[in-house]
Amino acid sequence: MLSSEEIIRTIEMLKNENLDVRTVTLGISLRDCVSSSATELCTRIRSKIKRIAGGMVAVCDTISNKYGIPIVNKRLAVTPIAAVAEALQREEYVVVARTLDEAAQEVGVNFIGGYSALVQKGFTRGDRHLIATLPEVLSATRHICASINVASTKAGINMDAVLLMGQAVKEISLATAREDGFGCAKLCVFANMPEDNPFMAGAYLGYGEPESVINVGVSGPGVVKKELERALQSGKRLTLGDLSEIIKKTSFRVTRVGELIAREVAERLGVSFGIVDLSLAPTPTVGDSVGEILQCLGLTSIGVPGSTAALALLNDAVKKGGAFASSSVGGLSGAFIPVSEDLNLSEAVGSGHLSLEKLEAMTAVCSVGLDMIAIPGKVDASTIAAIIADEMAIGVFNHKTTAVRLIPVPGKDVGDKAVFGGLFGEAHIVEVRNIACSSAFMGFGGRIPAPITSIRN
Amino acid sequence: MAKKQAKGTLVSVSVMGDDRPGIVAGVSKVLYENACNIEALSQTVIMGQFAMIVVVAPLKGSKAEALKKALDELGREVSLEIQVRLLNPEERLGFDPGEAEPFVITVRGQDRPGLVYAITAILAEQGINITRLGAEVVPVDRQLEYIQIYEVDIPRHLDCALIQRALRDRGEEIGVTVDMQHRDIFRAINQI
Repeated sequence: MLSSEEIIRTIEMLKNENLDVRTVTLGISLRDCVSSSATELCTRIRSKIKRIAGGMVAVCDTISNKYGIPIVNKRLAVTPIAAVAEALQREEYVVVARTLDEAAQEVGVNFIGGYSALVQKGFTRGDRHLIATLPEVLSATRHICASINVASTKAGINMDAVLLMGQAVKEISLATAREDGFGCAKLCVFANMPEDNPFMAGAYLGYGEPESVINVGVSGPGVVKKELERALQSGKRLTLGDLSEIIKKTSFRVTRVGELIAREVAERLGVSFGIVDLSLAPTPTVGDSVGEILQCLGLTSIGVPGSTAALALLNDAVKKGGAFASSSVGGLSGAFIPVSEDLNLSEAVGSGHLSLEKLEAMTAVCSVGLDMIAIPGKVDASTIAAIIADEMAIGVFNHKTTAVRLIPVPGKDVGDKAVFGGLFGEAHIVEVRNIACSSAFMGFGGRIPAPITSIRN
Repeated sequence: MAKKQAKGTLVSVSVMGDDRPGIVAGVSKVLYENACNIEALSQTVIMGQFAMIVVVAPLKGSKAEALKKALDELGREVSLEIQVRLLNPEERLGFDPGEAEPFVITVRGQDRPGLVYAITAILAEQGINITRLGAEVVPVDRQLEYIQIYEVDIPRHLDCALIQRALRDRGEEIGVTVDMQHRDIFRAINQI
């Protein structure tokens, strides 16, 4: 039997602490759509997406009402387009992208991920076409998200790809200059990209995934913060071990919500249930911030000494609670630190507490990487590529996923603000020190070999 | 469960009065002495008022008249209202909602007369049975808030979205927040 306390606590989490399902992402395999004719491929893609995802938004809305829990985003993830469109010419990739964009619009989702290529060990013809068309696709479409895996612990870091991505980021930023380089917010560069990540911009349907699958990303920085505050106000003497325990229990609750919703959406759509991604994904709403959790843990601001340790504690506790709550945990599953999407982080940059170097350090112990960071428009492609290389090295050598989503903001510099709107938020421009000091290193190209720790068989 | 019941008869005993130590002991002593086995029991205290309902199975040798007399005497001695009633077989089955889904309705806001009626009128119109109902004042975000909790069975043939809307609209009319959510969300969040 439920106790009144349990019911009241649940209502509070939902009403006052921003507990929600951040995204329900439907993965759809496009492998059976392959054709050497662009027209044929596009017809098949459109018809398959409509067939599988046509009822998705309505189902999500019904389930959201039934449980009284908001499902903030409904999204699609598809097989990497570099593979699906391998037989096409470069200019035809843009046609495929427009088809995906229209199909997403038709079924009512806000993003479709999978304009992707995996090039950690080298390029196919299709991979090169896809990367070359990124600026055009991300500036001309609304719903498409792109991701490129340039490194893995098994393969090492494809530095040619890293350099190409530095250039692509720069070009996308210029192509979307009027929106402060917003096109770059729809592109993630990855090391060890997960095949079942439901979060954008990095969602795609991996090669080992089923025909169609529901993956869910829950959220809850607000809930974690409130629980910590409540415990701290109780007047009991608490150690960091106690606080970790509180975070763990909260993460358990949040994950259970995700699994309940994911299973029911999957069942009603007649597709497989995949995973729950138990990431703490902040929003620009006050009270829904990873930065504020660190302040609860006694730090003046995220970015000050102690931040990496506090974030490590948070990230680990989140994983432990989530792993107990569900046997199907996947995706990124950790605490996110996307600067523009977390109001507190953005302010920490503005006040000078949070620097690019500290962000990079923190990504060694949390999910997912240098995320949604607005940098001065003047930073050159080679420097951007070198920053990407550093972040990839953290992922590759620590056996974890890392990603980079940098947004060079044309015409803006430190002291200015980039405004993206909605969940993407706004951000103070972060200072990039030592610009144009890495071009010789980046110029070598080739591949940084896989670490010795990758040889495990 | 006792071995020998007299023809499957059950008796309900309801007890009300000012709360104090010894009420349950007093009642259960009489039940024991009159060869009755307690089959089910529920007890609560609201604002100092004790209320208990006990369903008992009279065993062999138990006499209904003697039981009633002994409980009447106890009631007079210690100022309790005690009612004894024989349950017929239909009553024991309880209300059957048919195929139904369990939901929780919560009403939050300023207390005022007519709140329970406003909500339950809608439920009664739709033939929705309440399985549990409680109301209390609780601290939410350091403020006291009045909250009612209804657990209900919504028959499958009813449209949940319509009932949700009707409840929400009624809540808006009378200045309270009304939510109706499937019980599983509370279980998922709170129970292992």
